Amino acid sequence: MSQLPPDDVTRRAFLETVARTGGQSFLFGSLFVNTALLRLPQAGTDAKARAEAEVGKGVIYGFVVDTTKCIGCGSCVRACRAENGVPDGYNRTWVEQYTFYPDGEVFVNSPNGGEDGFADPAPTRNKPTGTEAPMRGFFVPKLCNHCIDTPCIQVCPVGASFKTDEGVVLVDHERCVGCGYCVQACPFGSRYLNPETGTADKCTWCHHRVVRGLLPACVVSCPAEARIFGNVSDPQSRISRILATNRVQVLKSFLGTRPRTRYIGLDSEVI
Amino acid sequence: MRHAAHFARLVALLVIVVVGFLLVRAKMVPKDFGVKGHFRLSAIADEAAREPRHIGSDACAECHDDIGAAWRAGKHHVPQCENCHGPGLLHTKVVAEDSTRGYPDKILTAFPKAINPGTGIRECRWCHLKTFERPSALKYIVSVQQHVEQHGGTYTSASRCIDCHDPHTAEVKR
Amino acid sequence: MHHYITEGYVLPNQAHIYWTTMIVLYPYITGIVAGAFIISSLHHVFDKDELKPVSRFAMVMAFAFAMFATLPLLNHLGHPERALNIMFTPNVTSAMAGFGFIYSAYLFILAVEIWLVYRTDIVHLYEHTRYPALKPVYWLLALGVLDISKEAEAVDRRVMIVLASIGIPAACGLHGYVGFIFGAIKANPWWASPLMPVIFLLSAIVSGVAMVMLCYIIIHWVQKREISGPCVHALIETAWYFLIIDVTLELLELINHAYMANEDWTILKQLVTGKLFVSMFIIQILLGSVVPFLLMGAVVVFKQRVPAMARNLIAVGCSVLLLAQVGAMRWNVVMGGQMFSKSLRGFLNFQVDLYGREGLIAGAVIFALPFVVIFVFSRLLPLWGNVATFPKEWMKEEPPVRQPLKGWTKFTS
Repeated sequence: MSQLPPDDVTRRAFLETVARTGGQSFLFGSLFVNTALLRLPQAGTDAKARAEAEVGKGVIYGFVVDTTKCIGCGSCVRACRAENGVPDGYNRTWVEQYTFYPDGEVFVNSPNGGEDGFADPAPTRNKPTGTEAPMRGFFVPKLCNHCIDTPCIQVCPVGASFKTDEGVVLVDHERCVGCGYCVQACPFGSRYLNPETGTADKCTWCHHRVVRGLLPACVVSCPAEARIFGNVSDPQSRISRILATNRVQVLKSFLGTRPRTRYIGLDSEVI
Repeated sequence: MRHAAHFARLVALLVIVVVGFLLVRAKMVPKDFGVKGHFRLSAIADEAAREPRHIGSDACAECHDDIGAAWRAGKHHVPQCENCHGPGLLHTKVVAEDSTRGYPDKILTAFPKAINPGTGIRECRWCHLKTFERPSALKYIVSVQQHVEQHGGTYTSASRCIDCHDPHTAEVKR
Repeated sequence: MHHYITEGYVLPNQAHIYWTTMIVLYPYITGIVAGAFIISSLHHVFDKDELKPVSRFAMVMAFAFAMFATLPLLNHLGHPERALNIMFTPNVTSAMAGFGFIYSAYLFILAVEIWLVYRTDIVHLYEHTRYPALKPVYWLLALGVLDISKEAEAVDRRVMIVLASIGIPAACGLHGYVGFIFGAIKANPWWASPLMPVIFLLSAIVSGVAMVMLCYIIIHWVQKREISGPCVHALIETAWYFLIIDVTLELLELINHAYMANEDWTILKQLVTGKLFVSMFIIQILLGSVVPFLLMGAVVVFKQRVPAMARNLIAVGCSVLLLAQVGAMRWNVVMGGQMFSKSLRGFLNFQVDLYGREGLIAGAVIFALPFVVIFVFSRLLPLWGNVATFPKEWMKEEPPVRQPLKGWTKFTS
């Protein structure tokens, strides 16, 4: 889809703003920029002044994954890898394929994180009696849950993992010692030690794009509208409307991490 | 205490170590650490400083206006340019330097995973091939051969989707 | 980092094992530190006088291993040069952040205790050493104060009693804390358990006692010194006692997992009966626990009726088994927790490297370093007994015979 949701700022608006205010102030004023660009600045508005006025308005980002829509094309995985320079063998986002057989067995798969697409033709299972056709199946995209009570920040010994005011969990690559404790503490396998930087790494919800008013790369590249990102504290935003009209689930809710990434149509077999 | 000179030295040693540690610490901890929480505040700016590599289809269409217009008007406007072509940032930079070279080799070198479109049916099958787990409401191709033959074509191992379809509009070429 | 061969569904980022040999070695080394220290405390604080022959050595061993406890960690870090960030900006909510401080404090207490125990010997050797080149070394070790008068020793004794009393909770804290680092990870069902710190602490004591016992007998055999029967017996008794509590809790932990049979038990069951079968049931439980339990139990039951040689052989054999038991336990916890994926649907085929930064050879070198320190120490100060039993050729003349302060010999000899 070429039309971005109404609560998401177009790139052009961002470029105009950068031209007006200068890129530098943007980087250091990311907090302001977030707030300012979350709603479309009207033409002629001084974005910087507007941003400063909106500080403290409490923008909170959220992410919804609609598993009923995912077609398992892997576009998000490829886009994420390219956008963030994720090393081979590691994933900031990945797609899982769930296939159910009539006898109750479940097969889960994510070859290369789904980057190269999925098995074709539809998977059949080898049984002593021959091959057996599956009963039902679906895809589940996964990414960092940006938990509210996140265990990764809790365990980081040096304060290299932190949360922004908007609820985004980030890693400070200049202070991270690379101990891997956060990797162990994340219940979802969202983190990895980046062999190129020697530091912990993870999905940032494309923070660097969001501060420029762009959507995360996985959201932009999704052809099925299975990924929705936006400001959950704005009741008019698309994500808020989706959250208001759907029953959503989170992964491993019993661990009490309170994920900000929420799922529509999650099956009990998805762990 | 008269006979505790050795402890005095020990304590002095300890004080030197602790004071030394505190001095080094004062120098090593960034000034903006702990301002807004237990982290270095400028780490947010560091993260924000990364340049987005996906420039967006609008940006592509600024130069490739004819294809952009066709893509936007056609029925294949859901996938973005960069879904198949790879991120455009380096391309725009290279072209800005020298418009006669740079695409796609240089991008492929910089982004090994970037796609060189048109090499086959790989990019198309990502979305269009029938996979059991896909939502059933959508229509997919079960087999390329079947699809080609169904529409009166001749299928060979060299057949590619773009032999018949315009990838930007998905229309059948005449 | 390797991309391991996987079975079933493993989350993409978990096709790697992030904590390997070094993280197995780290709790193993700190365990020996805590255990060896407990041995010296049993003598110093709890008046178990049979342990007198090894109490000094146990302290030196604790210190030698403590010196290298952080080395595996440093070797493992992605950015070892930033290691001090853990003390510059410690995150109070992190189970790991306290390590820098707890470890430093413990190392300091240990160093001061050893210093007090050896201060008289240091001063004697400063005054009487045959090797002039060593004089400045002894002077530095004495911090330049040569006062070993009765009054000074009285001060030493008071400080020593305070330190020894702080030392016990510090040693327990250090190692219980290491267990907490694993036990507090709710993301990993194989680790998350309030029993983990207790099990780590008890197995630490077992490994420390075993290491002291092994080295005591082997070194005495090599140097043809007389081995104290009551001492070996007391060491065996101590090891046996702690082994029983340790293994009881280890089994309790496993049985609890099996009996509660939570969602995660399906995969944990496959883990313990599959990839961990040898290291858990064969090494940790059968060879490392049942066999030493029976052998040492025989020594405990039959007491003096056991011939000295048999007792020593059992002590050496069981020490090796106990060290293997604790090593296997560390392996089963640290590696076992990473051999299955948090998807609870798949496993990794982990293989240890021989070479490389975190390979077996690197691990062996790190593990050998404490012994180098103990050797160097034994060239400077007496490992066994005190300066009166020091090799005569080290000194120009006999040290003056001194009437030791009442209640102080316990610490200095």
